Amino acid sequence: MKTLLKYLGLYKAMFRASFIADLEYRVNFLTRIVTDIFWYIAQIVTFEVLFHHTQYIGAWNLEQMRVFLGVVFVVDALYMIILSENLDQFSEKVRKGDLDLLLAKPANSQFMISFQKACTPAIGNLVIATAWFVYSLMQMPNFEWLRLLWLIILIPCGLVALYAMRFTMASTAVIFARSENLQFIWYQIYRLGMRPDSIYVPWLKWFLLTALPVGVIASVPAKALLEPPAFELFAWVVILAGILIYLTNKFWKFALKSYSSASS
Amino acid sequence: MKKSFAVFWKRNLAFAKLAIVSNLEYRLNYFVDAVLQPTLTTGIEILLWFAVFRGAATTEIAGFSREYYLAYALWGAFFARICTSWMYEFRMIQEIDSGSINAILTRPMTYYEYYFSQLMGYKFITTIVSMVIPLLAIAIFNLPTKFERLPLAFALEFYYLILVHSISFVIAASAFYLNKIYSFTGAKNLALWLLTGELFPLDLMPEPIRSLVIALPFSSGVYVPVGYLTGRLEIATVWQSFLSVTAGIVIVNAFGAILWKKGLKAYTGTGA
Repeated sequence: MKTLLKYLGLYKAMFRASFIADLEYRVNFLTRIVTDIFWYIAQIVTFEVLFHHTQYIGAWNLEQMRVFLGVVFVVDALYMIILSENLDQFSEKVRKGDLDLLLAKPANSQFMISFQKACTPAIGNLVIATAWFVYSLMQMPNFEWLRLLWLIILIPCGLVALYAMRFTMASTAVIFARSENLQFIWYQIYRLGMRPDSIYVPWLKWFLLTALPVGVIASVPAKALLEPPAFELFAWVVILAGILIYLTNKFWKFALKSYSSASS
Repeated sequence: MKKSFAVFWKRNLAFAKLAIVSNLEYRLNYFVDAVLQPTLTTGIEILLWFAVFRGAATTEIAGFSREYYLAYALWGAFFARICTSWMYEFRMIQEIDSGSINAILTRPMTYYEYYFSQLMGYKFITTIVSMVIPLLAIAIFNLPTKFERLPLAFALEFYYLILVHSISFVIAASAFYLNKIYSFTGAKNLALWLLTGELFPLDLMPEPIRSLVIALPFSSGVYVPVGYLTGRLEIATVWQSFLSVTAGIVIVNAFGAILWKKGLKAYTGTGA
């Protein structure tokens, strides 16, 4: 409990420092919000246009797809706030030797490298994403609002899966000298999770819920809202989150063994 | 006059070669960038089109069969890869931001041409390497492509790159006035992602948005060359696109020249 409080306090301090740093460049702050609005528009327009020509994509109609996009936007905004900047800069930190400073601190190095910098402009995106999500739910006829409670479990599990995959991929920077483009593959993998899993063939769907679990990021929470509850699937997602956290920690320790300081 | 053009050509060729050599330095990185990434993108888009046709329970959408859309998704990902620019834009911003631009300003060339030729060299080698994949896929799956139209499609694509670089130049020049503008690049690329037609053929949009978006020069990045290549569009649209890109180049460069000149006057370089 004491350790948990210590890390919560640490995160609070780092979040505050990030907010002050982000506000220093106000135009950049606003542009980052606008950037994501463009991304939201691109996703929404794509599906709105496609639904002009079809009634269903995968198993869902337009109203259901809007809810799915709402979940995607909310999860993505949370990921952006908490993790994106740390994991995107990972390779740079290793190459420039900044990792040395983090390793020398009296705190867990995985925690420090994963949560040191919050992307506070994305709070604006979270507000917009939530607004779209609520709007999409209101468009659903006879929506059972109690189903939203599932998200308390499933969205954090989705974020854990997202973190685990991204962190593992970013950690390869400790092993290989240059892995920037390997990081770009991540964005393609991430795109797989930004589409409803029902558009994929069964073997790929299975693969995306187990070995490469981008399917649990948004598809599973959206299913919890739109389809009858699949308790086995939800239980699997919770177990998977635990396994993934354990494995990332193991991989991080393994990667650190091959780290030779860059700043010395 | 003749001599000065020869000198200009020679030095720009050298910049282009420099870009090719430096990009091929890390071959694995380059392979991921030029081949693996667009292949994965194509795979995802193709799966989406399969799902759309399954859901629509029809053989045609807007008068074209599934094969046309698969061919569009396949070529679209690779043309999009060519017409997207962020690497050199980032470098330009960084140089203005840090002051290291001073080293380039003292050389007998313009900043615009230095990066333009590098961009062209990089895109030239990327085109050659990455086009192997769609060519193979088209041949194996027998998807509709009019290969005799490839030269004109590429001509339009590379002409469009002048506009792409000009926009990058304008964004980079903004670094004279504002600190930390890296997010401009992301915002611009995301806006163009939709406007080029990478996500879906622009003619699927409802009117009047469709006519407006197609008339913009950005449709020359993906929609027009790929539509022409796959038989969706005819040559008249390509000529119109050349005109609209020309107008875009003139407007953006006029704006860029003003920003650059004013910015340079006010600039106090620190990168000595």
